[in-house]
Amino acid sequence: MNSIETEVVVVGGGPGGYAAAFYAADHGKKVLLIEREPRLGGVCLNRGCIPSKALLYATHMITEARESAKRGISFQDPTVNLDQLREWKNGIIQKLSQGIAGLAKRRGVEVIQGRGYFDDGQTLRVETEEGQQFVKFEQAVIAVGSQSALPKAFDLGNKRIMTSRGALEIEDIPEKLLIVGGGYIGMEMGTVYAALGSKVVMVEAMEGILMGADKDLVKPVVTQAQETFEEIRTQAKVQKMATQGKQILVQMEHDGEAREELYDRVLVAVGRKPNCADMGLENTQVQLDDRGFIQVDDNMRTNESKIYAIGDVIGGVMLAHKASKEARIAVNHILGDNLKPESFIIPAVVFTDPEIAWCGLTESEAKQKDIPVKVAKFPWAASGRALSFDRTEGMTKLILDPDSERILGVGITGPNAGEMIAEGVVAIEMGATAEDLANCVHPHPTLSETLMEAAEVFYGKATHVASPKRK
Amino acid sequence: MEVKLPNLGEGAESGTVVSLLVSSGDTVEKDQTLIEIENEKAVAPIPAPAAGKIGEIRISEGDSVSVGQVILILDDGAGGGDSSESSDSGESSSQGSKPAAPASSGSAPSGGGPRPGGMPMAPAPGFGFGFPQGMSAPAAAPSNLPSLHDIWIPGAVVHSADSSAAKAGFSPPASPSIRRTAAELGIDLMKVPGSGSGGRITTEDLKAYVGALHQAVEVLMGHLQAMSAGPGAAPAPEKPKPKSIDFSQWGEVKKEPLSSLRKTISRRMTEHWNDIPHVTQFDSVDVTDLNALRKKLAPSYKEKGARLTMTPFVMKALVQALDKHSVFASSLDEATQELVYKQYRHVGIAVDTEAGLVVPVIRDVDKKSLLELSAELSEMAEKAKDRKLSGDDMSGGVITISNQGAIGGAHFTPIVNKPEVAIVGLGRGAMQPAVVGEKILPRLMMPVTLSYDHRVIDGGTAARFMVDFVEAFKEFNEENSAA
Ligand SMILES: Cc1cc2nc3c(=O)[nH]c(=O)nc-3n(C[C@H](O)[C@H](O)[C@H](O)COP(=O)(O)OP(=O)(O)OC[C@H]3O[C@@H](n4cnc5c(N)ncnc54)[C@H](O)[C@@H]3O)c2cc1C
Repeated sequence: MNSIETEVVVVGGGPGGYAAAFYAADHGKKVLLIEREPRLGGVCLNRGCIPSKALLYATHMITEARESAKRGISFQDPTVNLDQLREWKNGIIQKLSQGIAGLAKRRGVEVIQGRGYFDDGQTLRVETEEGQQFVKFEQAVIAVGSQSALPKAFDLGNKRIMTSRGALEIEDIPEKLLIVGGGYIGMEMGTVYAALGSKVVMVEAMEGILMGADKDLVKPVVTQAQETFEEIRTQAKVQKMATQGKQILVQMEHDGEAREELYDRVLVAVGRKPNCADMGLENTQVQLDDRGFIQVDDNMRTNESKIYAIGDVIGGVMLAHKASKEARIAVNHILGDNLKPESFIIPAVVFTDPEIAWCGLTESEAKQKDIPVKVAKFPWAASGRALSFDRTEGMTKLILDPDSERILGVGITGPNAGEMIAEGVVAIEMGATAEDLANCVHPHPTLSETLMEAAEVFYGKATHVASPKRK
Repeated sequence: MEVKLPNLGEGAESGTVVSLLVSSGDTVEKDQTLIEIENEKAVAPIPAPAAGKIGEIRISEGDSVSVGQVILILDDGAGGGDSSESSDSGESSSQGSKPAAPASSGSAPSGGGPRPGGMPMAPAPGFGFGFPQGMSAPAAAPSNLPSLHDIWIPGAVVHSADSSAAKAGFSPPASPSIRRTAAELGIDLMKVPGSGSGGRITTEDLKAYVGALHQAVEVLMGHLQAMSAGPGAAPAPEKPKPKSIDFSQWGEVKKEPLSSLRKTISRRMTEHWNDIPHVTQFDSVDVTDLNALRKKLAPSYKEKGARLTMTPFVMKALVQALDKHSVFASSLDEATQELVYKQYRHVGIAVDTEAGLVVPVIRDVDKKSLLELSAELSEMAEKAKDRKLSGDDMSGGVITISNQGAIGGAHFTPIVNKPEVAIVGLGRGAMQPAVVGEKILPRLMMPVTLSYDHRVIDGGTAARFMVDFVEAFKEFNEENSAA
């Protein structure tokens, strides 16, 4: 029997896991990284953030070319070679994942391909193609991530009923695509397929789509989607699906009306579930919450003192950068830093067209928690830059502490919102006030000016908006 | 009734019992002196707060006692036992069971003795801290200790748990690196006032807070040590232990312990010398005519019970110069980086006593006549000699005069009496050849020196001050100097 000893073992090679492994190795730890898939990078790299963004970029060209006609520059209708598109996308993944493998090697992080399973609180059994290996560890970091949830009722074994993983493979362009779930994954994939020419119907059980974000930020996205999608149905419920020839027969209820419709493909994007159900956690003291996510303390430590957990598998906002941040917190604790980690804000970006990005306190959260705030909004219709590329539906807003004028939240809708939100994160984390932001010169003409001008709106003296004096 | 050691003024927290004047069973009058305490500045008589019969005496001569400590029990006939003195600082039933526990200062006797004054602000670089009202002295139990919450930076914003930011779960405004440093230091940023926009905490704010915390802790430790140290315990050591030299190897020696006054002088002088960049300016005043005037007026002063010396003239000349150069009556507030110009003209007079140097302060010199000043000077000198100066008697000066004229010697370089920024040193007037007009004449010349704090005052200013000060001596005449 094969037994290896290591200081730190990391289970899962996604943005949480590899970040943890690298950081620990950089601090002199002997690290083993266990990943069941042949490629490192996890969901994010292989079937999440990166491929979805690649496809969004590629298909955005189609929309752009069409839009261009009204500006006097016309193109012929595009032809889409799906194989080539897929190959290009996979090439990116390949490159990135090789990059990560190279980084692991250079840091002396040993990667073992296999499935990790805890025999007890200090032993990880790794099931590889060549058989089992036993890893005795001083500390383990669980970063096994999550997978799309596929409710039993939809799990017919029909590959035309897809999760995001399947949708990213773009096997074909379905004529009619049903997307179940109006979260960001559904919206992003809907954007891709609509651009490729599918008639997209989106069904959401709640009263609105993209429920985490402020309504005013979501509105331009909905307006746009209502144009490019066939239909968006909120407060609608899919009850049943059945295979009918090469199509799926879907039963749903909408507006108190039962409907039965045929779709060529269905994308189920109704949430994600943690990957920790079958990895021997019952042999340890690790505890799960009632939704099956691993419970951790402020330092990412589970109930089992030698085992930490980070990323999607502990729930919360399931985003790659959250996983990477948590990786550092866990490793810092492993390295002997016993301080309670400083709180941090996690920005969120929805890469639809237009994009939505926000960070810190949202207006709806403030309302819900009864926190008094002041809100300053700058409409992009007043931005020269936005006008110059024909996208004036955007908006930049600041959520402010009414007394100190400190920036508590930033919300942006519009192309490039995802790039711009980083400035909001820095401002909030630095404890900046609206005045600080207003006093920083922003380059012209750029969208970044809208942040400065939103701050100026607060003082009633934005150059490009006439607004009543507030101070 | 428990009689406790009252506040001794000027930040003195403890003293040594030099004489115990009553014994158990004695009947005493109100204000009769019970014991004498040699505190850091003088010997203070501690009077009986009420008439009555002395019960248990809880101290003996030579004991070190701290403010608030119970000295003795006085049966004042009020039938009150322990309960007759109550204060709002939380001492209660445990009083009786812990005889040595010092209690709050709420029990300072009225009349006679020094009145409890506020604890002076201990200046820390860029910072200050204060004690809540009514806590001018150490309290009985640690739970009564002043809260470190009271640390403040002037002008900075104190964070509120009620702010929208706090309600939304944000920590006080500070960069991640500062938040991290605070966490490493175990500091709750909610308590660190921020001087940046919107109350943002800067590195300087954090440093200042840590500095003040450090200082507050030292003061508190001093209190605690004084409280827990039993009778006879020495004051806290200030430096790494110095090594003794065995001088007897070279001949016979005799040893004498330092008095607490000597220790205080030693500590303060070191402090002042280290803190203040000193410059000393030299000059001489022709006091030939003034001395003649003094001699002429002396009898009329004597008739009124006062002895006219050179000092009141010097004081008058000095306040005149101060009016022209008010910076010499200022203090540097290190906390706010402000100069505080004092509009009053209290002048400290260094008095050489058998036990050492003390500096009583004569108030409002500008408003008093030479006669009043003369009277007050002899009264203070008397008190100093008897070591009966109170803390109040020795605080509040804006500048100090150190006059060695009566003893001898010429120029010397006095040390500035912090927080004052200047001190005037006078030597003995002596007949000297002086050039007057075209002639060389024998004149009575008085050596004058001026040491000043170069942080606050520059050389040019000092020279101008000296010129005006010397000039002011010429203005005395029979009319304006008569008793
Ligand atoms: C379509 C889509 C788009 C997304 N877009 C974004 C985006 O734009 N921005 C963003 O921030 N986030 C995005 N996300 C979310 C992001 O991918 C996840 O938050 C992130 O990957 C979580 O990282 P992780 O390290 O926790 O887990 P994962 O990335 O899920 O990695 C876990 C790894 O563990 C491995 N594993 C699981 N069990 C075991 C086991 N027992 N033994 C060994 N290995 C195991 C898995 O194979 C996997 O490689 C997207 C997700 C999806 C699905």
